[in-house]
Amino acid sequence: MRLYDKIVKKPWPYWIGGSILAVLNVSLLIATDSVWKITTGFLYWGAAVLEKLGYNSADWYYFSAYDHGLKESETFFNNSYTVLNIAVIVGALLAVLWANEFKWKKIKNTRQFFFALIGGVLMGYGTRLSFGCNIGAYFSAIPSFSLHGWIFAVFMFAGAWLGSKILFKYIL
Amino acid sequence: MTSSRIEALKKQKQMEIRKKNNQMHYAVLGTTITFMIYFMLINYHLRLSSFWIIGILLGITMQRSRFCFASSFRDPIMVGSTSLLKAVLLAFIISTIGFFIIQYKTIVLNPDYLITEIPGQLSPVGIHTAIGAVLFGVGMVVAGGCASGTLIRIGEGYMMQLVVLIGFIIGSTLGAKHFVFWDKTLISKAPIIYFPKYLGFFPSLILQLILLCSLYYIADWYDKKNNITITM
Repeated sequence: MRLYDKIVKKPWPYWIGGSILAVLNVSLLIATDSVWKITTGFLYWGAAVLEKLGYNSADWYYFSAYDHGLKESETFFNNSYTVLNIAVIVGALLAVLWANEFKWKKIKNTRQFFFALIGGVLMGYGTRLSFGCNIGAYFSAIPSFSLHGWIFAVFMFAGAWLGSKILFKYIL
Repeated sequence: MTSSRIEALKKQKQMEIRKKNNQMHYAVLGTTITFMIYFMLINYHLRLSSFWIIGILLGITMQRSRFCFASSFRDPIMVGSTSLLKAVLLAFIISTIGFFIIQYKTIVLNPDYLITEIPGQLSPVGIHTAIGAVLFGVGMVVAGGCASGTLIRIGEGYMMQLVVLIGFIIGSTLGAKHFVFWDKTLISKAPIIYFPKYLGFFPSLILQLILLCSLYYIADWYDKKNNITITM
């Protein structure tokens, strides 16, 4: 029962978390020939919505360049990114349920709503330029021995610093 | 305290426990469905089943260890603690070794490798990387979390991160639509810089490990320095 509490109820130490994430990322590369990436999946969902609305988003230049297109037999909704992203959400959900900690947490006010939306848009747009997010262009890129991972790390840090300055000066 | 008050408290406590036990049912149900999907996928599409089960484990690990990439950058500045940053660096050390073995095996079999055939995540690097990363960093602070954090928080029941996700979808779709412009002006001129191609395989591994270990050492020193000042 004590071990159960340790695993299910108490937070794990960061270094254990980090080590498991690393092993999982390596396992993913071995099992699927693909690393952990998140935001391309978000783009595919956006493109799926546009397709439903009647736009030919699949014809965009983006999808014909740099191996950005869908793999054979995949669609904008039915693809490995969708499976992986939903699995991460479900994994987190299961973890909180086992710990009896699940709770709906509402948005406090419209300000928070707009912060969330604008922050999301900025991050999303950024990921198309940098070929990934803090996972694809950082967590999976640095171990791949690609310089862009290190550059991303430095400038993400600079951006976070700039962001907090802007927040403190103009908004808060 | 009157006995009736105590009784009321007792009842309240029992209600709370019962309410908590309710989540256990959902946990059992959710876990069963998760395994059912896994076994279904094994038959239907083996590759997707790996994405599914590893994704589940990534979600559980990030949630349980309160792992947050945004905080790993923020904590050293705001509170002087580097325990998360050290965990990220440790993850890099482990995955660098793992990725190295996988890449090395591929390339030994095929010495005339093309850069696009190397397993892992290799992308062109240049000014666009910096612009994208700065936008990402600003957005991360404004929205209060990164991409992986957003997914985890959605699983925990935060409505706000659903809005972040919608923003993420809008932003990345816009970015993809404008990609022609960025590609013509910046990206198409940028190279992929893959260290082993320039430095050789083992030197790249050793140098990267030395760099990561040094950063770990500095982070550790910084943490200790700050904690001493606090206790004094």
